[in-house]
Amino acid sequence: MSNGGTASAGSYLTASDAAGAWFGARDHKRVGMMYLGWTMGVLLLGLLFQILLAVKALGGMGADPALIFRTITYQRLLLVFLFLAPVIPVTLGYFLLPLQIGARNMALPGWSIWSLRLYVGGLVLLLGSYVLNAVACGWTLATPLSLTAPGAFPLLAAGLALVGLSWLLTGSNFLLTVHTKRRAGMGFFKLPLMVWGLYLGSYLLAAMGILLAVIVGYLAAGRAAGHGPFGPDSDPLSWLGYFWFVTRPAAYFALIPAVGMIFAVVEGVSRKPVPGYRWVVGALIALLAVGVSTWGIHLGPWGQAPEVTFVFSVLSVLVVIPAAILAYFILATLYRGAVACAAPTTFTVAFLLHAGIAVAIALFLGSPAPGAYLGATMFATAQLNYILWGGVLSALLAGLNFWWPKMTGHEVSQTVGRVGGILYLLGVNLMLVPQLILGARGVPADMGPFAEDSLGLGEVSGLGMLLLFFGLVTVAANFIGSVNCDRPVPDNPWGAEGLEWTVASPPPPGNFD
Amino acid sequence: MASVPVTMLLATWLPRAASTATKGVDAPFQALYVVSAFAVILVVGLAVAFVRLFGRRDAEQKGEAGTGFSRLLFGLWVLAAAALAVFAVAIGLPGYLDQSVPPYEAFPVGVTARTGAFSFEYPGGNFADTLHAAVGRPVVLNMESTDVVHGLSIPALRLHQAITPGKTSRAWFTATVADTFPLQDDLFSGDSLLVARTALVVQNQADYDQWLQSIADIFAGRTLPEVGELLYSRMGCKACHTINGARLVGPSFKGVYGHEAKLRDGTTVAVDDDYIRESILYPNKKVVEGYEPVMTPFLGKLNDKEIGAITEWLKTLSDHGGTGDGAAAADTTGGSRKEK
Repeated sequence: MSNGGTASAGSYLTASDAAGAWFGARDHKRVGMMYLGWTMGVLLLGLLFQILLAVKALGGMGADPALIFRTITYQRLLLVFLFLAPVIPVTLGYFLLPLQIGARNMALPGWSIWSLRLYVGGLVLLLGSYVLNAVACGWTLATPLSLTAPGAFPLLAAGLALVGLSWLLTGSNFLLTVHTKRRAGMGFFKLPLMVWGLYLGSYLLAAMGILLAVIVGYLAAGRAAGHGPFGPDSDPLSWLGYFWFVTRPAAYFALIPAVGMIFAVVEGVSRKPVPGYRWVVGALIALLAVGVSTWGIHLGPWGQAPEVTFVFSVLSVLVVIPAAILAYFILATLYRGAVACAAPTTFTVAFLLHAGIAVAIALFLGSPAPGAYLGATMFATAQLNYILWGGVLSALLAGLNFWWPKMTGHEVSQTVGRVGGILYLLGVNLMLVPQLILGARGVPADMGPFAEDSLGLGEVSGLGMLLLFFGLVTVAANFIGSVNCDRPVPDNPWGAEGLEWTVASPPPPGNFD
Repeated sequence: MASVPVTMLLATWLPRAASTATKGVDAPFQALYVVSAFAVILVVGLAVAFVRLFGRRDAEQKGEAGTGFSRLLFGLWVLAAAALAVFAVAIGLPGYLDQSVPPYEAFPVGVTARTGAFSFEYPGGNFADTLHAAVGRPVVLNMESTDVVHGLSIPALRLHQAITPGKTSRAWFTATVADTFPLQDDLFSGDSLLVARTALVVQNQADYDQWLQSIADIFAGRTLPEVGELLYSRMGCKACHTINGARLVGPSFKGVYGHEAKLRDGTTVAVDDDYIRESILYPNKKVVEGYEPVMTPFLGKLNDKEIGAITEWLKTLSDHGGTGDGAAAADTTGGSRKEK
């Protein structure tokens, strides 16, 4: 093994190299690496769609509005359901969960690979629906429009159902693994915080995954048969209520595994355990509680009774309390730490900024009068964008930069990583702050490409997107370039705590064998 | 472009305000902007400061375990967060309550939303495709949708209200500035060609009264084709039917009069006065081939005289329209016949 660390008997990467060995992999690390490839593909696709939309919006290509709406619909569906919600569990989650609790593999290795197959199946169906006959119904699939808009809706619904089932397999596999595979003596309050984030997030993935599959099934049936719970006779709020009951926790609160991971990174780069472990666990649980009880905030703009919306407003601004506790302990871990000046640190700061802005936006949307005005505008869309491009992506990049040596046995340049991180941070904000301003000026959600824009904000936003793109390219080039460097990587390059750092980089197939 | 950083710095993110209700939105918006910007800058600033202050000095250095938790500081921090949550709700509440009950003396305007168009009904059953209001006089909008969920958005009033089919939705405002402001449908309806966009026209009372007079009798001072054209835009027909031959949700009106139309059931029908009348009142009875039966019936919304005016106008769009003599055109076509 050319890249051998301390245990050069063979890593999970090289253990059995037949093509089929990856295709049918049962090793959690291989599943995580394959998921990394697929999710990055979805991210790239989403970014390309976004660039296409920006170019169209600038009017350079004789914009076809129908095509733009279809593209927005599919871009959102892909990015929210195949990237934002599952990405941290399915990439770094699969790779690290057994390592961090001292297990050889997931509790159900077959379910790991089947979740990936369902995910890829869902991706193929969704793209098939886009290519064959895209449905222009908006990514929330609001009825009755989604019942009448022409296009390959059954493919779209089947794709989302497969993705939902894939979440179910991942979520229940994680839950079972944490419950049954922990190393002897590792009680729940000794779990690493990243495991806590994954564990709590898994409840959301499992519950919302199966529910997603069921509701899109009923929606497709309602469309085909003309009746049913979401059929043409149903109240539009009925579909939207179920849709947001699923999507609000799974997508917006994908920040739960993200923040768990940020804690692992912060503890690692500052070589200091978090000084209030139980507070952090409590705040993560509180975040989960807010996540599952605030779907109705999205129904306000669609005609929900104002009294009901008010209750959800109050519940949704409570997010600021667990968020403040988590921010406190991230700062407290950096305080008097031995903080490495490295790429994961840069991305951690980016995470704090972006997640902070997303929480601040929740205050605006939860404040009754401003929320009633802003709820249907780009201001609200920008919140989801801040969670997606900002919070979850920066946590993912912090994690990838942190664990890359462990995952691949190659070290990346911290300088290049930090440059990429700063480009990324500038790009995200240059892209999204104009969206906030346009939203405040009354531009409706998802209608950005058609907005009246006397301030040239759309152009600034497009510039930000390009910067974001270059930032991501820099980070990706750093990762890909690292594979050519054959310098052996030590087991624990960061000097961090955690069981994953006690094994070889990259780990052997059985982890602790 | 140069104005963008200034816009960001001054927090003048909101559009020009034009009603009494805007304060209830703008004041909380500005307050939350200041407070949350401070909170985010504080957290990120501390993080950057700690990264710099406590940077690793040698490869073996460890962090000081157990530091960073102060019961007092943490308590204050959480208390501040809780106060922020209470503040956000409390400061936005008065404006919200104020909007929920229209004043009883408010001037009622009916709003009908359909895909691609709004139409506004003023007292006396007069329609217009723009929303007019007088400065200082409360207006209550009674809104209905004929198809899917629509949203009435008037940013200058900080107004967004969903319009759900089968329900009457209400919103009210008192305009304060005489000018024209954008108004649009802001709930995603699938195809931007069909996003209804029109305007709120705020006028002084005298101008407003004069305008109300002018819509009361649309036939005064207009020829029949002119009235037809006016109704075409006012009743929202133009959302789905072009006059240049381009295809939207419905067929174009260009050159249809006096020609034969092929229907979905395979038969053909002559486009004459009778067919036009039937297609306006019961549009889904005889649908042209290649189109869906999705048009809203206008039964009870247009009277015979108005339908006649539309017919006369359609004749001017067709080379078979003659000189506006409907009877002559009807004679030449001779009714419908079976094709097969």
